[in-house]
Amino acid sequence: MSQGHHLAYRSGQPLSVVADYVVVGTGAGGSMAALILARAGYQVAMVEAGPWREAKDYPETMLGVMRDVFPDWGANVAVGNSILPIVQGRLVGGGTVINSAIMVRTPDDVLVEWQRDHGLGDLFSHDAVGRVQDEIERELSVEDSKVDAGAHFGRSSQMLLEALQGREMEAHPMRRNVKGCQGSARCLQGCRHGAKQSTQLNWIPEVLERGGTVLSCAPVSRVELKSGRAVGVIGRFVHPQTRVKGAHFAVEARRGVILAASATGTGPLLEASGVRSPALGQYWRAHPGAGVIGVYPDVVDMYKGATQGTASIHHRKDLGLKLESLTLPLELVAGRTGGAGRQLTGRLADIRHQAMWISAVRAEAVGRVKRGLFGAPSVYYRPTQRDLERLRKGVSLLARAHFDQGARSVRPGVVGLPFELGPDQLHLLQQAPLHNRAWTWVLSHLFGGAVIGDDPRRAVVGTDLQVYGVRDLHVVCAAALPTTLGVNPQHTIMAVAWLMAERLANQDRSGYT
Amino acid sequence: MPIRVLNRAISQAISWSLCAIFPDNGPIPGLTRQSTCDRVEQVLQEAPALLILGLVGSWVAFVLAPVVTIGWPVPALLLSNAALDRHASKMASHPWYWLRQPMLMLKTVGGAIWGERPEVRIALGLQPFDSDPGTWRGDFEVQADSSMNNSGPS
Repeated sequence: MSQGHHLAYRSGQPLSVVADYVVVGTGAGGSMAALILARAGYQVAMVEAGPWREAKDYPETMLGVMRDVFPDWGANVAVGNSILPIVQGRLVGGGTVINSAIMVRTPDDVLVEWQRDHGLGDLFSHDAVGRVQDEIERELSVEDSKVDAGAHFGRSSQMLLEALQGREMEAHPMRRNVKGCQGSARCLQGCRHGAKQSTQLNWIPEVLERGGTVLSCAPVSRVELKSGRAVGVIGRFVHPQTRVKGAHFAVEARRGVILAASATGTGPLLEASGVRSPALGQYWRAHPGAGVIGVYPDVVDMYKGATQGTASIHHRKDLGLKLESLTLPLELVAGRTGGAGRQLTGRLADIRHQAMWISAVRAEAVGRVKRGLFGAPSVYYRPTQRDLERLRKGVSLLARAHFDQGARSVRPGVVGLPFELGPDQLHLLQQAPLHNRAWTWVLSHLFGGAVIGDDPRRAVVGTDLQVYGVRDLHVVCAAALPTTLGVNPQHTIMAVAWLMAERLANQDRSGYT
Repeated sequence: MPIRVLNRAISQAISWSLCAIFPDNGPIPGLTRQSTCDRVEQVLQEAPALLILGLVGSWVAFVLAPVVTIGWPVPALLLSNAALDRHASKMASHPWYWLRQPMLMLKTVGGAIWGERPEVRIALGLQPFDSDPGTWRGDFEVQADSSMNNSGPS
């Protein structure tokens, strides 16, 4: 009987592993592809740059999250004419550990766009994506957030739902992959209750049970190419706390290498591996977002309930807006709140009366990612004027919604405006400066850098699922997605990875490779 | 040893600026020098060089900026408490982006340290934190499940 192995940081002798497929990255895309291939009977090795942490290992504090969960203490940023923080997870399970467990099906218009403008044919047809998303939802216990569950939904989410529905806008409780959510509003730190069904709780263990191997604390430095074919990956273990480099490792792939190292990692890894393509690192996109805090006369307690409970895609098609409730940890609210000194601590005294709602934009801006200093990703990204206009509309709408719910003031966090606006000052927000530097943006949903398409001048991955010019090298994460979605991408990334892995397995069986 | 001494000196300098940004305000406790210094020292030991560089650069900007923020041509280290408070506040909302960014850096780290303090959390009516475990899984083996088909095409 074969065994599955988890191999963590080590020093000393180099480590060699052989598998049919090696999957780089263990987030939504990587773990999904690994699972499908393992279920098809292949030996799979997964390689993850960060460590494997269980629920009991998750940090409590924000500095702990920066140290233990974020890559480089959260120092990853996109730079254009402003600095935009990028939120990602670097641990086994990747972004699925630190996201808000949101599962939104891929909108049909996106699938049509991929088919029409990127030549993807029936690769991601409505029926195929629907079929696998049904399965994914069943496996991950996806359910609507329960509005009637009181503290488990959260007052902030409930107020946003009521406010938007009161304006006759579409708004809904989010569908989430949770089992027994206790409403601790700590999705961002990793769910210590084990309620969020992130991939290291289910899919990765199943890969191990099927005889797979997981290497953690193992950043890949290069994909090995031989005679135009990907034959494995190499790298060096890194201690998760001291960052001391340990043993070298090499994973030989008999059938193929699958990259799922995220929209910031995959492009630079291909670049480091010697892959050349005019589209490499290009077409990098995001959903930048900004929040507006409402301050209420009564206690809201946004730290009780789902981290994110309510969403609206009412303005997704016309304005490219996604409106959501969000609980930001006190430590981050403290950094974001305007002012400093006694003024700042005074402004944080009413934290239990605050509710934060965010507007994310399906931005039209297109950036790029490349390998920067010391191999770290370097991202150039600059939201356009239209993106800013849309963001301003979204934030204005949320501010109005706050006042509908009885907020006494709102805090938009826009430089050039008063720190706090009353109901009669909303016009100021509608005229807020349209400059990136005036807004407090965050990039959380990232796409591209190694996109799929039928034109090698505009895509890195072909419709045969191989990187142009390299056999048996595939990309199954957000880096491959050719457009933004306008909804949370986790479900789409999983579905795309499933379908790509399924096709690889079927192609192998029919002697494709 | 000299590196530890340097680390301590940098921690003291940075913690001074963080205490100025997050001071006591009535019933809301601010940062205190000793505990902040210890936490900053820990951060300097564990954080990557880029973050440390950013923190030190931000501290330098904070020290040199009073001439721009409040029109006093003296380092912030020499300001009275009231003037320091005014300088911090003005720097946080200054029209120059590259002056606000160092403040944002200091606020991000300072906010993280301030918001985790049990005294602060209790004063704000929030649950205090346990300590961070800082642990991870080592090697382990999983016996393959015989009910699963693991004899694939390879």
